[in-house]
Amino acid sequence: MHRKQIVKPSDPTAVAAAVVMRLYVAGGAPNSVAARANLEAICQRHLKGNYQLEIVDVFEQPLRALADGVIVTPSLIKLSPLPAARVVGNLSDQSKVLLALGLQGKTP
Amino acid sequence: MKTACPVAKAETARPDAEAAFATFIRRLVQDAATLRAIDSGEVDAIIDPVSGRAILLPEAREALCRGAAPTNQMLATLPREEYQRLLAGLEPVTLAFGDVLHEPGEMIRHIYFPNEGLLVSLLTLVENSMALEIGLVGSEGMVGLPVAQGIGTSSVRAVAQGTGTALRMESSHFREALETCPALQRALHRYTHALIAQIAQTAACNHFHQVEARLARWLLTASDRLQSDLLRFTHEGLADLLGVRRVGITVAASALQQQRLIQYSRGNITILDREGLKASACECYQKIKDIFDRA
Repeated sequence: MHRKQIVKPSDPTAVAAAVVMRLYVAGGAPNSVAARANLEAICQRHLKGNYQLEIVDVFEQPLRALADGVIVTPSLIKLSPLPAARVVGNLSDQSKVLLALGLQGKTP
Repeated sequence: MKTACPVAKAETARPDAEAAFATFIRRLVQDAATLRAIDSGEVDAIIDPVSGRAILLPEAREALCRGAAPTNQMLATLPREEYQRLLAGLEPVTLAFGDVLHEPGEMIRHIYFPNEGLLVSLLTLVENSMALEIGLVGSEGMVGLPVAQGIGTSSVRAVAQGTGTALRMESSHFREALETCPALQRALHRYTHALIAQIAQTAACNHFHQVEARLARWLLTASDRLQSDLLRFTHEGLADLLGVRRVGITVAASALQQQRLIQYSRGNITILDREGLKASACECYQKIKDIFDRA
């Protein structure tokens, strides 16, 4: 399985506010598939293209996960804007993800 | 289309070592949030900092191996973008023999995309007691077709014919998703045409053809859908599906076995001679197969 990487270019008019994330997954395992789908749905609804998301498959790059302090998948890391945050699991709890991304309370 | 099991890419725990594996996880994972995620089944893999390898958790390994990843042909042939849009609403489920997906006249709560290895019968009920199979859905199709046409209820009973997996989606979500998935719409139009043709051909077959030919037709169709020559059905179950008495199935199965076309033992039916079985089947088998192959 190839490492999957998706980079969504930010809206150039709102670069400063772009949310940069990294999602660690385990290939096509069920929670990883669900996490990816849940996150992309949240991004579409709440970030409207103003984000960068990198998806890293730990079967291909386990050391990158360890370097980020990630030891389980799926794990989402918000890299910027600071403060950094992380969520473990299939991201089905939307409020938890929005809180980590600093989007709680903001209407889409 | 088989989906390769990706387990080989990771070192996985043996079943007899699962207790030790659980201890290993507890030693490695300290923070409460991650432990809660593991306990609630939301984690797939753990990365061992010593070996630097990703290790699948037993549940994820089993799910991947039994085909929780979609092998439904309708989904597998969608453009990647459309499939990604659908994924958020799809959930894998395991169905067992006799599970009823929906009843006639009731709201269809979920639509189902069967994976390889799962068969679902569409049954028409008469006087609320007798049921006759009028359609068979496998990994080539979808259960809950009326939803795609804006109809919320079904006129038939859908029941699983064995254990297998499927991906399902809430009907309301499916209706919304369908509007943004033109390739899925086209696939459903073709499938609707094929299913109607199958139902029409089955109606004529049930009326005009002998039990032996109909049984051969059914076994071949089920074998095609399951992609297996080994089928697990009792005489009683087959009699219900074909709308004949049990003894009729026993006589027909014995005749096919005497010709060494099938072997039957305690609910296990093995197709020994596919070409010979085709020769014994009525023309309906090939007609239905051609319609689905063209769709």
